[in-house]
Parts: sequence; structure tokens; C-alpha cells
Amino acid sequence: MSIVKKPGAIANWYLPGILIGMIFTLKKMIYNLFHKDKMPTLNYPEEKYEYSPRFKGQHVLTVKKDGSIRCTACMLCATNCPAQCIKIVASEHEDPTVEKYPINYEIDVLRCVYCGFCEEACPVDAIRMGPEWQKPGANGFNFTYDIQELAYRPQLKGGIESRLDEKERHDFGI
Amino acid sequence: MEIKLLSEHYDKKEFQSLQGYKKYGGYETLKKAFSMKPEQIISEVKDSGLRGRGGAGFPTGMKWSFLPQNGEPRYLLCNADEGEPGTFKDRLMMERAPHQLIEGMIISAYAINSAKSYIYVRGEYNYPIKVLETALREAYDSGLLGKNILGSGFNHDMDVYRGAGAYICGEETGMISSLEGKKGQPKLKPPFPAIKGYLGKPTIVNNVETLAAVKYIIRDGAKAYRKHGTEKSAGSKLFSISGNVNKPGTYEVALGYPLMDLINNECGGMKNGRKLKAVIPGGSSAPILTAEEVQKTTMDYECLAQMGSMLGSGAIIVMDDSNCMVDLLKVTLHFYHHESCGQCTPCREGTGWIHKIVSNIVSGEGRLQDIDLLEKISKQMMGRTICALSDAAAMPTLGFITKFRDEFEFYVREGRSKVKEVMAHA
Amino acid sequence: MPKLTLNGKEIEVPAGSTIIEAYKQLDEPIAHYCWHPGLSIAGVCRLCVVEIEGNPRLQIACNTQIQEGMVVNNNSEKVKTAVKWGLDFHLINHPLDCPICDQAGECELQNQYMEFGKYDPEMAEPKVKKRKVVDLGERVVLDTERCILCSRCVRFTNEVSKTNELGIFNRGDRSEVGTFEDKPLNNKYSVNTVDICPVGALTSKDFRFKQRVWYLKNKPSICTGCSTGCNVNVYYNEEGVFRVKPHYNKEVNGYWMCDEGRDIYKHINRKSRMLRGRYKQNGVWCTTQALEVAKKAGQKLSSFKGEEIAVLVTGQYTNEELNSLVDYSVNKLGSKSVFHWKNNENNWQDFDGHLIRGDKNPNTKGLQGVLQKYAVGGEWKELENQLSKFKAVVVAGPENQSVYFDIKEKIESLKSLECVVWFTAGENSNFEKLSDNSYLIPQKTSVEKNGHFTNHQGLTQKVEEVTTILPEALNLEETVSLMLGNSLDLSIRDKQEMGVLKTNYFSQERGSL
Repeated sequence: MSIVKKPGAIANWYLPGILIGMIFTLKKMIYNLFHKDKMPTLNYPEEKYEYSPRFKGQHVLTVKKDGSIRCTACMLCATNCPAQCIKIVASEHEDPTVEKYPINYEIDVLRCVYCGFCEEACPVDAIRMGPEWQKPGANGFNFTYDIQELAYRPQLKGGIESRLDEKERHDFGI
Repeated sequence: MEIKLLSEHYDKKEFQSLQGYKKYGGYETLKKAFSMKPEQIISEVKDSGLRGRGGAGFPTGMKWSFLPQNGEPRYLLCNADEGEPGTFKDRLMMERAPHQLIEGMIISAYAINSAKSYIYVRGEYNYPIKVLETALREAYDSGLLGKNILGSGFNHDMDVYRGAGAYICGEETGMISSLEGKKGQPKLKPPFPAIKGYLGKPTIVNNVETLAAVKYIIRDGAKAYRKHGTEKSAGSKLFSISGNVNKPGTYEVALGYPLMDLINNECGGMKNGRKLKAVIPGGSSAPILTAEEVQKTTMDYECLAQMGSMLGSGAIIVMDDSNCMVDLLKVTLHFYHHESCGQCTPCREGTGWIHKIVSNIVSGEGRLQDIDLLEKISKQMMGRTICALSDAAAMPTLGFITKFRDEFEFYVREGRSKVKEVMAHA
Repeated sequence: MPKLTLNGKEIEVPAGSTIIEAYKQLDEPIAHYCWHPGLSIAGVCRLCVVEIEGNPRLQIACNTQIQEGMVVNNNSEKVKTAVKWGLDFHLINHPLDCPICDQAGECELQNQYMEFGKYDPEMAEPKVKKRKVVDLGERVVLDTERCILCSRCVRFTNEVSKTNELGIFNRGDRSEVGTFEDKPLNNKYSVNTVDICPVGALTSKDFRFKQRVWYLKNKPSICTGCSTGCNVNVYYNEEGVFRVKPHYNKEVNGYWMCDEGRDIYKHINRKSRMLRGRYKQNGVWCTTQALEVAKKAGQKLSSFKGEEIAVLVTGQYTNEELNSLVDYSVNKLGSKSVFHWKNNENNWQDFDGHLIRGDKNPNTKGLQGVLQKYAVGGEWKELENQLSKFKAVVVAGPENQSVYFDIKEKIESLKSLECVVWFTAGENSNFEKLSDNSYLIPQKTSVEKNGHFTNHQGLTQKVEEVTTILPEALNLEETVSLMLGNSLDLSIRDKQEMGVLKTNYFSQERGSL
């Protein structure tokens, strides 16, 4: 970070600057004392901020209509991930129209930088960044999330359905 | 004016049998041919200006002279796999005068010094095959085929081979593949069949009509043959005329005969006195001619090439103003989509693609840009493949679209045929 | 040698070659699918179109012979549009399921699209649906939808393997590659069809879904499956080796290799390897570093007289390694009892007429040369007859144990000896049976070391280190040096290993995908 310095001797006098700051702080404090409802800060964790639904927080693996995982294990997210926190093990699916699916999909969220590249790389809308942002855990807590956590955690209420349905696409002739 | 050269005795039932054929001077020409040297026959055919009657119009004598002089066995194949929609002249020739073809083939085989020839007949031609087989047996029985024919010392065997109904086997290399027992797919050229054909040996492939015409060239001489037709398109040709005329059928006329005369005089004019709308002059793969163009068209290789179409196999399809061009194109393209052998990508995928687009237009789901797309695809399909099937699908598409674009646009916009609309109101 | 001008560059080519070969010689890009240098010309993809001066029609480069003074180009607008459309025709019925396609990353359709295409598709009609995931025998899976019908695989089975299993069925855009009545494609060269398939229509069951190809690096090496010594490309990453593909060598294998040879990576990977050195003392197996075991073994061996020691060698090591071992035996231990352990010797002369040979050792010729040089050599049988004469035996065991069917009996027959020193790359449960004073020293496999193999025809080929699977393993030269009491300079190796562990080479390559 660079600091812009103004030239001249006056700029070196720190006292006026401090005083100006103090006056500003005092002004705000008195204002807030009488307008408590307009205060911009929250009493976290008792009060929680409601983020926009488009906030890029915790990853979600979407599911198909039948509830199975949408991911095709193409590994584009893992390739694209700058933090290299995604690990996928692919396998042959019984259904020849599905062909390939992940038997293991892990995200090490401690390494994740929440850049959203995985979501962008995904060709089938299988991974999304959801609005959840609180994921506390104590020492020894496993921060490497697997399919169970990413797709079927209780908050998701049985899974988020993917926009892209393979069967529909197939019937349409794509 | 209709002339009677090849088709002189087609109206007589007895002409089908060897006895009847001999009654009208049959196999006399063969004797004459045996008195000539093979080179003389080739030069005579060259002088006559005979061009292939199957579609491409390649000079026959020139084709024969491409054979390498390396002592390898040669094969003569008669292309009777008449699959082009609208063509039925070969069927008539085989049904009415099988011996005429056999005689022409023996003469040709003698000219190119071939000991074995095949007649590759379209699988659906049940009756012509029966007739040909009977005729071959007759010929063998009377010593016209086999060892030492008519005491000339020339040996020749002939067989009828039945196709399995693929249009692509009418292409000469496709036919050779099929004859070899492989999947009927055209082969890469070069090498050309005249160098490396059936079983890797030099092979000449000629149309039924071409081979039959050889007989008349030898009988009357090249000069007499040249009396018919024009300078560059010599001789007569059988035309199969179908569509909305009063008397559809096969007519033999000299090349260079005006198309309008053929329709009005020989065919007795348009059916129900309707207005002529368009004519496909050379089988479904030839680009279509509009009524105005038909007025100045003469039936020969040069004039049709000038009009941007081709003589092809001589299948003339006449359409009147009640025919919807979009529907017609769909039918045509369905045929090519179905018949593409699937070897070269532009043809395999292109024929399917344009057929799907036109089907979409017919079912009312077309888009305006589809018409331009059709044009673009067709242009890219032309001249890109091993054989000419891709061109054969692309050329009518281009012709239909450039000449009847308004009908296509109407179909796309309204989702129904313009012609049928007009007809309903009339 | 005719001269011609390609894209404005003059070039001289051998007479009778085609334009596409000239393009390859010049290393100019030219799009093509169906042409393969090892197969006949099909001329069906129609992508290699070129413009020849004086010819109004575009010609295909693969079937046009070169004539003196031809002026050819493939960078005119006319050719570019033709190639673009040619590619479009290929793509309209292609399912574009690259995410689940194993070929993605090395797919010719992708490559050509990036090079010649890059446009939006104009196809709005439904695609033709064909069969997916067709099981074609032991090693190959077929997807007829992805197939672009280039007919390379069909020509391979016709011309190279001569087994004629594959064919193209049906016509037009309904054409499908397949086998008659879905009979399995079980010839000994079947996976070559996967290699030459330009798209993901044929995929290898063994490699399917194991790795995306962009995670793999490759380096040339030599196949150790048999004495043919096919040149191969080894595909690996930090997790190990994942597949082996043939590498062109006119002298040895051409463009092909057998299916058996593709399995050699299995005994190279960690799973089947001896991870650490072991020695048995007072009835207890102790596990320690390989170099410690080597040192201990050296000390133990020096306590025996020369005539009490026998040395057993297999043709699975490089010339240099074998030389150092035999030299050690003859000159340092003073033992002339060096024996050649041959497996399945009865069918050593077997040859299937193409590539596969009965002798399953990559370096039998080289070993024979070394034995001749030191005027030693004998057979295992001779050893067995005079086993009581020996107290200690040094065995350079096979790297590929799966072709040594007698390995269990051989280990058991050595139980009676006082001291057994066994060099081995692979693990084997039978080693447990060895008696006290047995030393097991982990060895490197062929992809981890430098050296030379001499194949059946006497051709000496170089192998270079491809990757490190097991940092601890030693090669024979190092082992011998340690047994002599020298210390090993591991600093260079350490650096290399650190490099493997620390740097992430894929992150730098991402942009080039």
C-alpha cells in the first residue's frame, strides 16, 4: 500500500490532524447516542447481517431432479482453482447417459480463497457459491468438506436443483 | 422430332428374344466388329463423339484409351444401377432389347480386349434381371458368349450382378466396391478405375445406353452417327420424361433438340393445360430450370451446361404451377440424406443437415436465416467429397433456392405453402 | 527429389510423397483427422484441403502426389473457409460432451477448433442420437456418438493387426463404428485404436476416468515388457505413472505397441513397490533406509570367501547396472559364479510376427554381452546342482515380477543359504520366507533411471529418467557402490525430489491449455 505524502513543513504537524479526527469521532458518538436505530454497526453474534443472495459464500453442489449429484467430475473446477483446494475422484456410472460422476468430491475450505472460479468454470451448473458465510469450527474440526456436506447439508433442505437437466437436454437433441 | 435409332424395334415383343433380335439384323454388327481391329473400333468410337450417357458425359473413346498397356486382365462393367430419381431409360432398354446391350458389350469388350464383363443391375429391377439372364443364356447357347465367339478367337464371359438397392452403387467406384463384395462406397480417385478398378485391375465402366450405342456406331460408322445431334454432342439420346405432361415416357431424340418441342410435341403438352413452372432436365441432381429458361434450352451437353444445369442421365421432370418447390426439395433431400454412404464428412453431415432444415421449414418451424444457411451449406458441400453425391444434393438445393426464393420465404413466414394457398383460392 | 512451394516456402521432398507429408516435413499446420502416417489413405475427413496453383478446385493434401514445381498453399481465404466448414460438419452431430469425455485435452476436434475454428455453431436442429458406452471387449469402450467416422481404427484392424474386427455399419449420418454383433475387440493390439482415435469415441478402460490428461506430463522411455524394446511415452504426474503410449521409432515398433506393454506402469507405481529396505536379523525383519541395508549387506558379504558367493542376474537391468554388478562380483568379491536367471526359456523365441516376443526381458542381449565380457555365466539349474557349495547369494531380481512365474519357488529354494542379498523393485510376500541375514534392497524401475537397454536385434537404446516414484530406491550402480563401503552423494537427488514435492508445475502450465 502506498501512502501519499504532502510536501511541506505543515504536513508534518500531527496535532491538528489528531484533533480533527477526535472532533469527528465525538460528533458521530453523540449522534449515535440519540439515533440508536440508525447505527450502521451490529452486535455480532447476537445480531446477524443478512447478505445479498448473490453473495459468494459457502460452496453448494447442486443435484438433479432425482436428488443425485449433478457434478460430472470433469475436473474443470479443480483445474481452474487457484488455491488447489478441490479434489475429485471420478468413476464410471451405471447409467450410460450419465457415464461419469464423482465418487469423492472434497473442498478444503481453509485453503479456499472464495474467488468463485470453480463456479465460473463449471459447464453444468454443478457447483455454486451460496449465501452462507458462517462456518465456525473448533480445533480439530474437519474443514475438508465432502459430498455429503457440500450437497446435502441440512441447511440446503435436500439439495439445490441444478438449472441444467441432462435428460431435458438429451430429449431436446443437444 | 423423335428418331428411331436405338429404340427402333422397342415396340416389338419378339425383339426381346435372340431369334427376334436376329430377325432385325442382330449380331450382324458383331461379325463386322470382329473383322475390324480393336484399335479401329476405339478410333471409330472416338470419331463418333459418343459421350457417356450415364450422367457425367465423359467421351467414351477417350475413356477407353486410358487403359494401361501392361498386359493385365481388364474388366468391362455395364452400369445398369439406374437409381437417379426420374430415370427409367435403362430399364426400358434392358427389358425390350437385352441383346442390343449384350451385342454392344461384346463389341466394346473386344475393343478394349477384356475377357470378362459384368452387368451391374439395380436390385429392384426384378423383371429386367430376368430378361437379361434369359438373354445371356440364349447368347451362351448359341455361341455368342464363351470361348471363341463366332470363330473369331475372342473369348468373353458375361455375368449379371444384382445390386442391393443403394443409389451410391451407381457411382463407378462405388459399384466396383460393391462388386468386390465390400460395402458400396466410392473409392478415392486417383487411381481411376481405368488404371486400378475391379480387383485392382484396369476397369472400364459404361452406362447401358453408351454400350448399346456402340453397336450402332460400328454398324453405321462414325459419320452416320454424327449426323444426329450437334457438333459436340453427337448422336441420339433416350430421355425419360415424367411429371405433369400428358404423355410421360421414354423418347429418343437427337441431342440438341429443343426442350419445349419435346414437351409439346412428343409428350403432348402440359397435363390439364396447366402453366409450365419448371423443369429438372437431367435427373434430380441437376439444377432446376425455370419456365423462361426452358424456352431457350436445347437438350445437349453444352447448352445445359451454359444454363447452369446438366444433361445428366436424361431424366426430365416437368413441373406445373401446382407444384410446391419447398415440398419438392424436401422429397429430393430426403432421398440424398437416405442414400449418402457416410464416408466423407461434408456429404454425410451436410445432406442430413440440409434435409433437417428443409423439413423444419415444411413443418412450419423454419427461420428466415435458414434459407441463407442452406445456401452456405450447399456451397461448402460442392466439390468437397470423393464422389459427386454431395454435389448432387447441393446443386438442386442451390437451384431451388436461388430460383424460387419467394416460395421459401413465404413458407418460413407463414408456415404454409404459397402454391397450395394460390391453388386453394383459384 | 521434386521441389515444390508450400505456403511460399520452397521444399524438397522424396519422390512419391504426398502434399500432407510435405506439410509435416515442413512442420506447417494442416488440419486432418483421417490421415495417419502408419495407415492407408482414406481421404474422408476432407479437412486437409489445399489450393494448388492452376487447379480451380480445392484438393485434399493426403491423396495428392507431389509433382515437380507445384505451388501449394493452405492459408488462403478459400481454404480457411473450407476448413472451417469441414470442422463444422464434423461438429454438428458431435455430442460435445467434453466434460465427461476422457479425450478432452488431447482431442483433435478441440485442437483443430482452437486452431482453425472458433465460431458459433449454426446448427439448430436436433442431433443424431447413437449408442453410448458400448463395451468393446477387455480394454476398449466405444462411444459412437462422439465418433467422427475417420475410419482410422477400422483401417488399423484391417491393415496392422489384421484381425478385421471393426467396421462401419449403416450409411449416411446414421453410420456407426462397431464390431459385428458387438463381438469383443480382443486382439493383442486393441488399445492402439484408442491412441489413433482423434476424438473420444474409443477410450481405454484401463485409463478411463483415472486422470484428466492435462494433469499428466509425458517423457519418452523404453517398454520393458519384452525384448522388442518398443519406444514409449510414459504419462505421469506426482501421483505416479498412469499410462504408456507408443512413440514412433521406425527401427523398432513403428507407431504401435502391444496391449501387454501398456500394463508395465502397474509394477512401476508405488502400490506394488518395495517402499523401504529390509533385513532379517535374529528372526526379526527390520525396516530401514535402502542405503543402510545396502551397506549392511556389503559388510556381510565381505565376510565370505569369493567361492562361497553366487550372483544371480536377470535381464531386467540396464547395461551399465549389469556391468557394475558383474564387475563387483568378479573383481571385488572374487566370485566367478555368475548365473543368468531365465524365465520361461522354452518360449523365448516366440514371436507373433508383429511386436510381441516370448523373451519378456528388455535387456537379455545386453546381459549376455556383459557376461561374455567377463567370461562368466551359467544357468539357474547349475546353481541348484551345486547350491551346497555356496553360503551367500546375491540376486538382481526382476523388476517385472509378473512374467517370472517361478519367483516363489526360487525364493524358497534359497532359504537354506546363510545370506541372501536380493535387489528388487517390487514387493513380494514370499520374501518373508527368507532366512536370517537376508537383505532386501529397493531398486529403481526403468522410468526412474538412466541407462541403456539392448533389444533382441542388438539395438542399444537409451532410457532416461522420467520421474521419481520412490525417492528412496537405488539403482544397481548406487547399490554396488554402497556395498563397497562408499558413501552416496544424495544432495543432487534430494534437490530433485524436493522439486517434485514443492513446485506445482501444473499451475504454470494452465494458460497453455
